[in-house]
Amino acid sequence: MRRHGVLIPNYVPGDSIVHRTPLWLKFLLVAACGLASFLVVDWMVSAAVLAVMCGLFLLTGAGVERLARSVWLVTPILAAIGAVQWWQLGGPTAARIVLNVLVCVVAAAVLTVTTPVQALLDGVVALSRPFKRLGADPERFALTIAIMLRSLPFIAGAFSDVRDSARARGLERNPRALVLPVFITTVAYARQTGDALAARGLGEPAD
Amino acid sequence: MSSTETASSRQTPNRARWTSTDIGLIAVFAALVAASTQIPGIPVGALGVPITLQTLAVILTGLVLGGGRAFAAVGLYTLLGFAGLPIFSGGRSGLGILATPSAGYIIAFPLAAAASGWLAAIVIRRTVKYRALFLFAAAMASTIVIIHGLGVLGFMVNAKFDFTKAFLADLPYYPGDTIKNVLAAIIAVSLHKAFPDILVRRVK
Amino acid sequence: MNTIILSEVSVRVAVDGAPAPKTLLQDVSLELTEQRIAVIGANGSGKSTLLRLLNGLVAPSEGTVSVNGADSTRDVRRVRSKVGFVFTDPLSQLVMPTGREDVELSLRRSIKNSTERRARAEAVLERFGLLDLADQSIYELSGGERQLLALAAVLAVNPAVLVLDEPSTLLDLRNRELLRRTLAGLEQQIIMSTHDLGLALEADRALVVDDGRIVFDGGPADAVEHYRALCAAEPAQGAR
Repeated sequence: MRRHGVLIPNYVPGDSIVHRTPLWLKFLLVAACGLASFLVVDWMVSAAVLAVMCGLFLLTGAGVERLARSVWLVTPILAAIGAVQWWQLGGPTAARIVLNVLVCVVAAAVLTVTTPVQALLDGVVALSRPFKRLGADPERFALTIAIMLRSLPFIAGAFSDVRDSARARGLERNPRALVLPVFITTVAYARQTGDALAARGLGEPAD
Repeated sequence: MSSTETASSRQTPNRARWTSTDIGLIAVFAALVAASTQIPGIPVGALGVPITLQTLAVILTGLVLGGGRAFAAVGLYTLLGFAGLPIFSGGRSGLGILATPSAGYIIAFPLAAAASGWLAAIVIRRTVKYRALFLFAAAMASTIVIIHGLGVLGFMVNAKFDFTKAFLADLPYYPGDTIKNVLAAIIAVSLHKAFPDILVRRVK
Repeated sequence: MNTIILSEVSVRVAVDGAPAPKTLLQDVSLELTEQRIAVIGANGSGKSTLLRLLNGLVAPSEGTVSVNGADSTRDVRRVRSKVGFVFTDPLSQLVMPTGREDVELSLRRSIKNSTERRARAEAVLERFGLLDLADQSIYELSGGERQLLALAAVLAVNPAVLVLDEPSTLLDLRNRELLRRTLAGLEQQIIMSTHDLGLALEADRALVVDDGRIVFDGGPADAVEHYRALCAAEPAQGAR
């Protein structure tokens, strides 16, 4: 297994002002960016917001390289979307849509790069505590989220391995033979993870 | 990996309480749905709702995990997308997506996963022969009723299309979804062969 | 001292399409009290199943497993808090992206206060000489460092028994030596399967598993001898 283009970058220890900002405020920022991307109609506003987000990211001291890496993964999709939108709706609209996606990506990166996973988990646990009465189990919920985030690079890697092996063997005619290994690996990985959690006494329902 | 039955899975014959194994499956399939959106999709129609492998991943989650866990997995994916993780198709995120024509599809995904999963559990319990065919039928029924149903509704509410126009806007997704459902059913049969106890826990 | 008792344990699994279930382990009765116990046998002999029984990862189809009086199916939480389990591949075991976070995850259940948890995690990492690597991605660590980290995360919650499933199989010679020294310094009871016969020879007691049965139980030197004879008498049959 190898590390794969990380859409959501890992925590980078630091002492910047962004690191010291309370988690709820950073979370609000991410949520606001998600919402704003559908309210903003001027691409120049989007560009300005994106510049601010990139500024915040660099302020954390995580570096340009990490920023580029987290954006790099969405570029193929954005290029495709951008091209089609340009053709259908014109330049400014295409620019706005592409920039808004980038805002979301960078905002999420600012959050994860300055927050250790354990702190995120504590945040999720705190947020979901009100639902405890409805039978929710905040600790297990938070654990599930952590496992999901941890699995993303692995699964993305499995998908790209498929592309590589298809290329290596020459284009595979049978789509089943092409994609099945990804899903077998995925399920086996899920099982292994479940076993590892069980063996460590994590993720079992509380009595 | 071994296919031995875990102690925990034997203690909970139903889905009453999820075990660590279930947590692993839910989390990893949520990641699978998220990762499936990162493969470039092809935007279709004037509104640019993209065709991705996402529906394949959603339906497959249902066919493999069954209703309850599939709903949890795809629901978790949706929730994290709403919360700001850029994992919706095209790298989008946030609650704002509910204001776009894609809204119907986003809401439909957890429900479609649950429905196809519920049907798949029946198929796996009752049949050995022609499983792929039955699973395909389960996938198709969930896709048409829930994904396309809510998809059309999304176009009508958020893009202010009338029914005919919304129906036509949704139409281009049918061929792709049919192919993806065939694929999902075939993959699901193989996965159930490889992991016989993944959906229906056997009693020795 | 710990007492692990397996009485008349069999493990069977259903196989899709096959009329009869497959037997992984047949009629095993053991009382494990020694400090260092090695389990040797061919691939697919039932070693892993035997070890997985000990912390409830596998449930017996017949018979019972108990650890210091706690039953492995009825009381699985108690058993797991007593028995730490280390897998062959540390990457399948480490669930967090960095060592610090993985150790903290282990501690989440027992320590609710996050400052205290952090301090305890640092102490554990320090003890295994991993503090400098605490914030590195687990994928950037060497195989030996990863295995040590997996061990540290399991030992963080202080189990009484440590079960290791072929912990050295993926390691090179130097890292095997490191692991051997680390294990030798632990006060926990250790039950370990291994293909490293040198490691097996250091145990107080050794079990040889073949075809789902315990075929030898006794001193490690005799056990290794028995295992060698077994392998020589019966050429490998591939899929067993």
